[in-house]
Amino acid sequence: MNNHHIISATDLNKDFDSLQVVKGVNLDVNKGEFVAIVGKSGSGKTTLLSLLSGLERPSSGRVILDGRDITDSSENELALFRRDTVGFVFQSFHLIPTLSAWENVALPLFPVKISAEKRRERALELLRQMEMEHRAEHRPSTLSGGEKQRVAIARALINNPKIVFADEPTGNLDSATTDAILEILKCLHADNGLSLVMVTHDLDLAESSDRIIRMQDGEVLS
Amino acid sequence: MDLHYMVKELWYRKRRTLTATIGLAVGMAILITMNALSSAYTEAARMPLKEIGADITVQRAGDVPEDLTGPVFACSAVTIRKNEIERISTLPGVQGFAQALLVWVFDADRFAIVLGIDPSNPVGPGVLRTQLTDGRFLEKGKKQALVEASFAKNFNLKTGDTVTVAGRTYPVAGIVDASRATKIAVAHIYLPMEEVQKMAAASKQVQAVSPFDKDDANILFIKAAPGQIDALAHSIKDIMGDKASVATPASFLKRLGSLFALSDNFSLVTSLIAVVVTLLIVLKTMAANLTERTGEIGILKAVGWSNGNVVSQLVGESILQCFIGGILGLLFAILAASALGFMQVSIPIPWEMSPTPHFLPGGGDPAFKTLRLPVHVSWKLAGVAILLSSLIGAVIGGFLSRRIARIKPSEVLRYE
Repeated sequence: MNNHHIISATDLNKDFDSLQVVKGVNLDVNKGEFVAIVGKSGSGKTTLLSLLSGLERPSSGRVILDGRDITDSSENELALFRRDTVGFVFQSFHLIPTLSAWENVALPLFPVKISAEKRRERALELLRQMEMEHRAEHRPSTLSGGEKQRVAIARALINNPKIVFADEPTGNLDSATTDAILEILKCLHADNGLSLVMVTHDLDLAESSDRIIRMQDGEVLS
Repeated sequence: MDLHYMVKELWYRKRRTLTATIGLAVGMAILITMNALSSAYTEAARMPLKEIGADITVQRAGDVPEDLTGPVFACSAVTIRKNEIERISTLPGVQGFAQALLVWVFDADRFAIVLGIDPSNPVGPGVLRTQLTDGRFLEKGKKQALVEASFAKNFNLKTGDTVTVAGRTYPVAGIVDASRATKIAVAHIYLPMEEVQKMAAASKQVQAVSPFDKDDANILFIKAAPGQIDALAHSIKDIMGDKASVATPASFLKRLGSLFALSDNFSLVTSLIAVVVTLLIVLKTMAANLTERTGEIGILKAVGWSNGNVVSQLVGESILQCFIGGILGLLFAILAASALGFMQVSIPIPWEMSPTPHFLPGGGDPAFKTLRLPVHVSWKLAGVAILLSSLIGAVIGGFLSRRIARIKPSEVLRYE
């Protein structure tokens, strides 16, 4: 790994019982790079994203994320590392149904010792960037799919992450909303220099990235 | 731990919150009410003695008088010697002490129950001071009489009149309605202790049954230090011997018999069942709640919450929910206690403590002290219930959340 890499994965393998889902993956992602991982369902792309982001530990191999070897970190160390370094956007949004939009955005900061007012200000600022400020007090059940994903993106950014991992971020959205969300992600990458790793099965979407990584049967093809 | 998040989780998951909270509230209400009821019976059993300003009364059984003329002792209250009185009054744990002398006086024209008292002593019959209906109370050193209201009415006695007892005449200082105060140590005429001691010492009928000196007595009233009543009663029996009759709140509780035993045991069993059922309800509801929120907890961990963050949040929610349940249970219990407070309980008075001879009208009837059951929820009981509720929340919340906090976010997200 050199200083230009935000991620460096070496000989990464992941087994679930006897099933090998990720096989000998070697992968570097540069700082500020937008990488799309594509492949059919079951190709291992989501598992690879989990391994790269520290959500999952590999069966063998190493992952260095932002200069830190996270392979042998404990669950709590990984949680704190994710809070400080990583943002996530999921296909199913994964918003907390009892919290309002701004509270969902601020969720990663709840355990952090900052004032409630500062936390709220930061969340509202991000919602403003997502053009969602007017929906700040609404709960997820009253938001459309596109609005939920904007809230989820704002949540991914609340901790000023160095890299955002997006797993099928437009998988549950219609085409118009997909374009809008993709535009937001591209802007974040272009304007803020944010590293972005996106898993998608949509090749058109992947075309927007700097680099496409294709997966098949747990292996990286290119 | 974020209080705002806790409140929202409880508020927006109303069905589960209500199930757990109401379940816990009912359990706590049963526990508080049953304990309050048990305490009420115990308190009620104290009342007959409390009304006479004592925790313990002491008498000695003796022989039946042979000749019912002049002053005689009831067979339930014969002589307690001066040296015995001195030993008892100096026992450890004695906080207040009074002696009295109960005598039946068979004069030619009427029968009277006469009680010699120390008017300056607030323990024992001295409490009658508050039951004066006319005139004034006895004064130390003055040879006066206090007459019970119904006796005064029967014999047309008023304050300022004179009353003759065993050939001695006393001015009536006041009228007292003893029936409102107590069923124990009630008399028709109250005289200074020294007067009745002289009367008894001079009576052949008294001396024939139970030798008596002018410094002796036949009833003792004792106020005991908290928690020492039973030990004192035991020591008194050692001094007084087999024929001692020592009445304590515990002896009145025994007289309540199966009613109290049922209430006491029932309260213990019901309290235990209430706590166990409450635990199960809260456990089941919270377990279901956490299972439902597995995905949410996976998200919390994915976005950087540590195991400790998750556990403290969930334990906080559990404690808050159970605390609210405890408060609600306390309110239910206060309402139930108010309703139960309308119940009446009749406490049997031992025949030996009733001064009325059995051969007089009403003398052989069983005596009861009837009162409204003093059911109230004490601060201590309320505090214990609230603490117990919160503890249930902490234990169950801790048990369940520690398990669920160990889930890996990737496992949850994979199946969401």
